[in-house]
Amino acid sequence: MKLSTPRILFNRPLCSDFYEMAFTWEPLLTAPLPGQFFTLRVSEDSAPLLRRPFAFSAFNAAAGSASMIYQIRGRGTGLLTAKRAHDTLNLLGPLGKGFPLPGRDRDPLLVAGGIGLGPILFLANVVRQQGRDPGLVFGCRNAALIPDPSALSDLSPVICTDDGSAGFKGTTGEYLSSIESSITPKTVLYACGPLPMLKLCRDLALRKGCNCFVSVEQVMACGVGACMGCAIKMAAGGYKRACIEGPVFDSKEIAW
Amino acid sequence: MVTPMDLTVKIGPATLPNPVGVASGTFGYGGEYEGLMDLSRLGAIYTKAVTLEPREGNDIPRIVETPSGILNSIGLANVGVEQFLAEKLPALSTLPCAVIANVAGSTEDEYAAVLDRLESAGSLWGYEINVSCPNVKHGGLAFGTDPRQIERLTTRLRALTKKPLIMKLTPNVTDISVIARAAEAAGADAISCINTLVGMVIDTRTRKPVLPLGSGGLSGPAIRPVAVAMTWKVCRAVTIPVIGMGGIMCADDALQFLMAGAAAVQVGTGTFVDPEIPIRVLEGIEEYFHSAYSPPCR
Repeated sequence: MKLSTPRILFNRPLCSDFYEMAFTWEPLLTAPLPGQFFTLRVSEDSAPLLRRPFAFSAFNAAAGSASMIYQIRGRGTGLLTAKRAHDTLNLLGPLGKGFPLPGRDRDPLLVAGGIGLGPILFLANVVRQQGRDPGLVFGCRNAALIPDPSALSDLSPVICTDDGSAGFKGTTGEYLSSIESSITPKTVLYACGPLPMLKLCRDLALRKGCNCFVSVEQVMACGVGACMGCAIKMAAGGYKRACIEGPVFDSKEIAW
Repeated sequence: MVTPMDLTVKIGPATLPNPVGVASGTFGYGGEYEGLMDLSRLGAIYTKAVTLEPREGNDIPRIVETPSGILNSIGLANVGVEQFLAEKLPALSTLPCAVIANVAGSTEDEYAAVLDRLESAGSLWGYEINVSCPNVKHGGLAFGTDPRQIERLTTRLRALTKKPLIMKLTPNVTDISVIARAAEAAGADAISCINTLVGMVIDTRTRKPVLPLGSGGLSGPAIRPVAVAMTWKVCRAVTIPVIGMGGIMCADDALQFLMAGAAAVQVGTGTFVDPEIPIRVLEGIEEYFHSAYSPPCR
């Protein structure tokens, strides 16, 4: 975990809502892992005030670069879209714990909903580097929200759209139900996306007796474990911090 | 040759190396920010509040951003005094700066019990007494808004320690100077002001407050003018040192507090925004005093 000032390599729209930004990653910095995140100070002004957290969507040690996929949600992310190549970022990271990688005898099934795509793509590429093709499902509301294929680095996810304008008609949950018979105790589910989707993955994993790791989102102030703001309620009682003990949790740990 | 300015701050029987500290609740137990800033440059670290028993904290969400501010409702989530002594204090004691424990409680007895246990450890520089947390049902604000209770609590805690005893006051009162005078009369060594302002954000889609308890505590640049005014008022009411805080993001902000009469300042929300801010504030203050007091000709 360090403060750094990487230079932006590119910042481009991927679809109507999403942008992809790539930036330099100095060799001296710790290499980010899938599921880990970083925070950016998006403005020198006092509004928006807090740093914004983003998950890594890729890391290339040889090229010395890392990337994220982000969604325009408010003023902070709106300001980011105006950044250009060669601009510098005020970045703190890598932060948090990433996804535990699947064992050799496991069948990873990766599920992304909306902007949850970034960390899932990163994980998919790392699994592929291990010589396996993971199952990959991506869901969004409609075809306009499907990212440019160039961002998917030859991965071909099953696309689900709520309105059926592309791919499977229905949510990722409905798609997973349709293939439920192929899910076994050897499957490991990895999910990042809206809360109902994560919960559905957890329920599915419980039914099928397989592991399920989810990356959760919570409003965050410090990102380093100091403020106790990004608390996530645990099934065993008490809270854990999304920024330190998460953002990836075993889905059984969380109080849903 | 530049002569180093004397920026030390005397509080009761002890001295801080410089006036810039990091505020309680924004800096965990110190170690969280190690590696992100040179802790040896800090005037003081004020720890996360310590209570007698561990506290889980409030329901979630706990934070919502507001215009130039943050509304929080953490609820004094902390490990409790025993775990603090066993697990946090050893590491805190190795940090190269003054460590001031922030003490909170629901009752007078609880404040006293925590202070007593901390005092037995010996390695703390001093204590900041949180009588101003707006996010707990009992204690906190109830103490901070009643001058008689403040006087009684301060008297009791004063008897337990010879170390610097700092009372951290709330701005959520009609007249903060009355509270400050009560703390001074009972033997406090300094006043910290201000804790957060009570605020609320309502989600118009759900028609409910965003924070589960309804209101929370507002911090950040949004409250700075209020904090400067409160500091000004307290400085004119008491003769003991005043530690000012509220939305300090740069040296100029900190200088406003010093010019209002504060002897020292704390950076809180600013550290979240950029962990380099506390040291930058200190360097800016050093630069200001150096240039202001430089002899006209050399």
